[in-house]
Amino acid sequence: MNPELILGFIILLAGVAATAFPRERDYISRLIHVEIAATGLMLVMLAYNETIALLTFVAVTAIATIVLIRVIERGEPCD
Amino acid sequence: MMDEYAIGLIVALIAIIITFVAAFREKNDIHRLIIADLAEVSALAVIALIATDLAEALIIPGLVVGISELMALSEIYLVREHLTHPVKNPFRIEVLDTAPAIIAVILVVYGIVLCGFTGGAVAGTGMVFYFMGKRPAERFALVETVSGYAWALWIVAFFIFMVVPEYWFFAVMLAGGAILAKVTAKMSLIGTMRGEKDV
Repeated sequence: MNPELILGFIILLAGVAATAFPRERDYISRLIHVEIAATGLMLVMLAYNETIALLTFVAVTAIATIVLIRVIERGEPCD
Repeated sequence: MMDEYAIGLIVALIAIIITFVAAFREKNDIHRLIIADLAEVSALAVIALIATDLAEALIIPGLVVGISELMALSEIYLVREHLTHPVKNPFRIEVLDTAPAIIAVILVVYGIVLCGFTGGAVAGTGMVFYFMGKRPAERFALVETVSGYAWALWIVAFFIFMVVPEYWFFAVMLAGGAILAKVTAKMSLIGTMRGEKDV
């Protein structure tokens, strides 16, 4: 196992745990926690040389963030 | 000693279990949307572990389906809660004021170099950033014109394949450039979703 893979697994688990049980129930901070998990997945893809999947994932993650920001800024504020 | 694939599978399954426990315990709808995004990430980790070309071939359609599912769910949420009016006080995001021109140029140039569907996606992301940041007025007439010409070029390339197959390289270049322009135009429409009330 190479270092990128191990680091990717650790960051993936940390990001998933942080998103699932956040300390502050705030939309924006939870969205940023999802980005942590996405970074872990990108490291896993990098370790396995999945170039096109990695590129497409970067582009799609940017659009997903924008879509979610659009919902958050129109929805009512968090409890 | 377990091999790499087994360890990775265990990690990914733990991530999926945590995600679904969180999804069951969540009551707020926007939080559920964010967890749906997280579920996509942790499920893609399982596919990424396959580590061959098969993984890439499975991940790319998964990403496309995932983003369209997220957009549809967010639209349904906004319509159901009657939130379709233009937003009163939008977020002030500093990066979206200064960076879009530079990021758009870099991504569009890189997308043109890549060519084809992936190039169109990358160039389209650049245009999404530009339209999100600058909030232009109406440019749709131009975008739609370019999209229409690109479609016509694509059809022309197909006819070249059928009728004069010895010019296949010219047809490949024509189809690649046309699909680039088409995907870019479609994705730049996404970038205007935050903007005016009639888009």
